[in-house]
Amino acid sequence: MNAPDRYERFVVPEGTKKVSYERDTKIVNAASFTVEREDHTIGNILRMQLHRDPNVLFAGYKLPHPLQYKIIVRIQTTSQSSPTQAYNQAIDDLDKELDYLKKGFEDDKNRYEEKLRQGY
Amino acid sequence: MSSSTKVSALDMPDVPMGQLPEHLHLQRTRVVCKADAPIHTEGIQYSGAYASIGVDNSMGPNKFCKSFKTVVVRLTADEIEFDMVGIDASLANAFRRILIAEVPTMAIEKVLVVNNTSVIADEVLAHRLGLVPLNADPRLFEYLSENDTPNERNTIVYKLDVSCKKGGSRVTVKSNQLKWLPNGSELQMTTYDSSAKAKSYTSFSCSQDSLPEFSKKPLGVSFPLELLSDIQNLLLIIYHCHKSYNYEQAIELEAHAVKGMGKVHAKWSPVATAWYRMLPEVVLLKEVKGDDAEKLVKKCPVGVFDIEELGNGDKKAAVVNSRACTLCRECIRGVNEELVELRRAKDHFIFTIESTGAFSPEELFIKAVTILEEKCDRVISELS
Repeated sequence: MNAPDRYERFVVPEGTKKVSYERDTKIVNAASFTVEREDHTIGNILRMQLHRDPNVLFAGYKLPHPLQYKIIVRIQTTSQSSPTQAYNQAIDDLDKELDYLKKGFEDDKNRYEEKLRQGY
Repeated sequence: MSSSTKVSALDMPDVPMGQLPEHLHLQRTRVVCKADAPIHTEGIQYSGAYASIGVDNSMGPNKFCKSFKTVVVRLTADEIEFDMVGIDASLANAFRRILIAEVPTMAIEKVLVVNNTSVIADEVLAHRLGLVPLNADPRLFEYLSENDTPNERNTIVYKLDVSCKKGGSRVTVKSNQLKWLPNGSELQMTTYDSSAKAKSYTSFSCSQDSLPEFSKKPLGVSFPLELLSDIQNLLLIIYHCHKSYNYEQAIELEAHAVKGMGKVHAKWSPVATAWYRMLPEVVLLKEVKGDDAEKLVKKCPVGVFDIEELGNGDKKAAVVNSRACTLCRECIRGVNEELVELRRAKDHFIFTIESTGAFSPEELFIKAVTILEEKCDRVISELS
């Protein structure tokens, strides 16, 4: 009865930004990013990639409520970097890794099909 | 007290600088499955985790590219099993989630029932029709939103017309009896204005089979499944005309299929299912000889262990097929001493993808990676 429509899980409504940024007033170099209409699929990956950054002191994500389709990513960095920089760097690294992954898989699939064709 | 030159504990010969000692390496790369619960399950990504020992735990894109490997184990028309080494559990799970819920497919959404005198209610029949996997490539279609008119670019129309005469034999209705109507809907919408031209429910400007993409492969259903049945797992639409019913049963309906994602409804999921597991590693902690070895080999239901003959009639147990381990834990159950350690490699995943027919399984995975890349691009913050 109160559940929102299923397409709300991925359709960003007019007027709201996909990613919004809030600096943390009490701690230096800390910020929260609210990403609309995303879930654990991207949240967990982003958190994992942020942990790999040596400049990141704190990185975590949460879904405030399962029926509110957004994630909040909280990042704290050293003074060498800023949360926005760490966030963007993490996404760029992910892009590179995914590209490489896709190529690797296609190559291996072609190799496998070749082997099948040659009858091994 | 003897005076000796001080040697750092980290420089001891069996713990070379730059590498982790055995037990820490185990903790970092393996999940150990004990009898009650697994331990060391968290992933240690922090690059400074072992800074105090002088070991660098960082992983940038270059290092990832060097350590990443993928191996296809089995590839058939419906199923693929492949290994991915060097990725993290969060990435594996993201692929699984995207394969199940975010790769778009075509499925029946609207069912226009002309006649249904069978024992199955309209809505039950419509629900079952929605779940039928269709053999249509969703890349050739666009999404249909509420305000759009259904046309040849966003709808596929199927017709089902079956009947069973009174006193005739039982008729089984299978999903391959859904006929594809390339010209669009044949039903006409009722209008109150008798002078207006009769409009059908879809406005196809040209016949779908005149378009080159569709003429190559006529749009049918993937498998000739029975749509409703009292036999388990078979989908059979209806048991027509049971002898005790004394009337003719007929179904005449038109079904419109549109593009959608599994996130909205599971009928749009392109996979029967997709799953992954971590590569098992089974290690014998002690030498197991003689009768104990025989017992151990018998315990395992999938054949992980086997007997190795040692020359003078002696037998020893050895691990031959640790990949088959299903973690039934029979080999560590109830024993007084630990003979076997069951481990899982944290960065080696064995993926299995079973497709329902719209895509081939390797295309499905490539599509999933593309969707994840698009997601990442959408999530980039525009702030400097």
